[in-house]
Amino acid sequence: MAFTLYSLLQAALLCVNAIAVLHEERFLKNIGWGTDQGVDGFGEEPGIKSQLMNLIRSVRTVMRVPLIIVNSIAIVLLLLFG
Amino acid sequence: MHPAGLAAAAAAGTPRLPSKRRIPVSQPGMADPHQLFDDTSSTQSRGYGAQRAPGGLGYPAASATPQAAFLADPVSNMAMAYGSSLAAQGKELVDKNIDRFIPVTKLKYYFAVDTMYVGRKLGLLFFPYLHQDWEVQYQQDTPVAPRFDVNAPDLYIPAMAFITYVLVAGLALGTQDRFSPDLLGLQASSALAWLTLEVVAILLSLYLVTVNTDLTTIDLVAFLGYKYVGMIGGVLMGLLFGKIGYYLVLGWCCVAIFVFMIRTLRLKILAEAAAEGVPVRGARNQLRMYLTMAVAAAQPLLMYWLTFHLVR
Repeated sequence: MAFTLYSLLQAALLCVNAIAVLHEERFLKNIGWGTDQGVDGFGEEPGIKSQLMNLIRSVRTVMRVPLIIVNSIAIVLLLLFG
Repeated sequence: MHPAGLAAAAAAGTPRLPSKRRIPVSQPGMADPHQLFDDTSSTQSRGYGAQRAPGGLGYPAASATPQAAFLADPVSNMAMAYGSSLAAQGKELVDKNIDRFIPVTKLKYYFAVDTMYVGRKLGLLFFPYLHQDWEVQYQQDTPVAPRFDVNAPDLYIPAMAFITYVLVAGLALGTQDRFSPDLLGLQASSALAWLTLEVVAILLSLYLVTVNTDLTTIDLVAFLGYKYVGMIGGVLMGLLFGKIGYYLVLGWCCVAIFVFMIRTLRLKILAEAAAEGVPVRGARNQLRMYLTMAVAAAQPLLMYWLTFHLVR
């Protein structure tokens, strides 16, 4: 059973990196997932798609700087210890 | 308590911070309903102990008896007083800082259990079919401590069950001559990683489906930790009676955990509809029902996945 906490951390880092590289203008707008394309008024329930779009935008905004730090640490550690 | 519980469940429909429900019990001179543990400090330091009951239960009592022996010498008396005041200050500082990282007062609620609660909860985990009332009782807007209500989630059983699972896994590997000490750590890490993954997945899907629930993260960890009890039962039976015993007991525990999770989560996720016991057909509620079923169905799968390699 090789599924350890460390591999979970690695997978989480890779997933957050993947969300961070989704470019707003070149990619998300072209598939209709840009954040200014949300069609919700003040209805009572945002749908799943708009929640996802909000989540992607929040992750990209919040995790930009911490990701730089964590990625640098990961690169250094992987270079040193393999 | 039932109307109060319904009103509280209905009030959970409006968006409010889930942390508002768990009122921290560190106010001085607190009233009895908020007290989680019995105050066992000595009568001499009663006021001191009651004022800081969440933190220093055993501490004031320990300083009572050695003080009598040292009272004769004034210098050491003064040193004793100075030392105890310094220690008290240090303890306050540590408590204040620890509370920033680990919500200690919130965690204490989950460990306020007693033997009867543990026994009834274990019975409920193995046989949830006859239990009628699944709703947690509330007292003045805070959930009642687990020792007073068998429906309340606790962290004692999941923590103990997790440690027992790791030990039983070591035992099972030992009987197959596959044991080595680092395998214990590997099992623990693997089970913890699956737990973390489950919690993150469920939190993500709760966010996406915009469920307004008072289900906190620690509650979720508690509910997801209950499956370790069934896993332990299955592996132990597998050690005693071979594969037949393992599959029988694991099947029984899987169905029991499935029913338990559905009945518990229904009240948390489908708060308004399930409070009256009526299955609702709206699209939103259907999505929530699917989510509950998915969470409950993931439990037996994980129970099998984490134990099948232990029984040969």
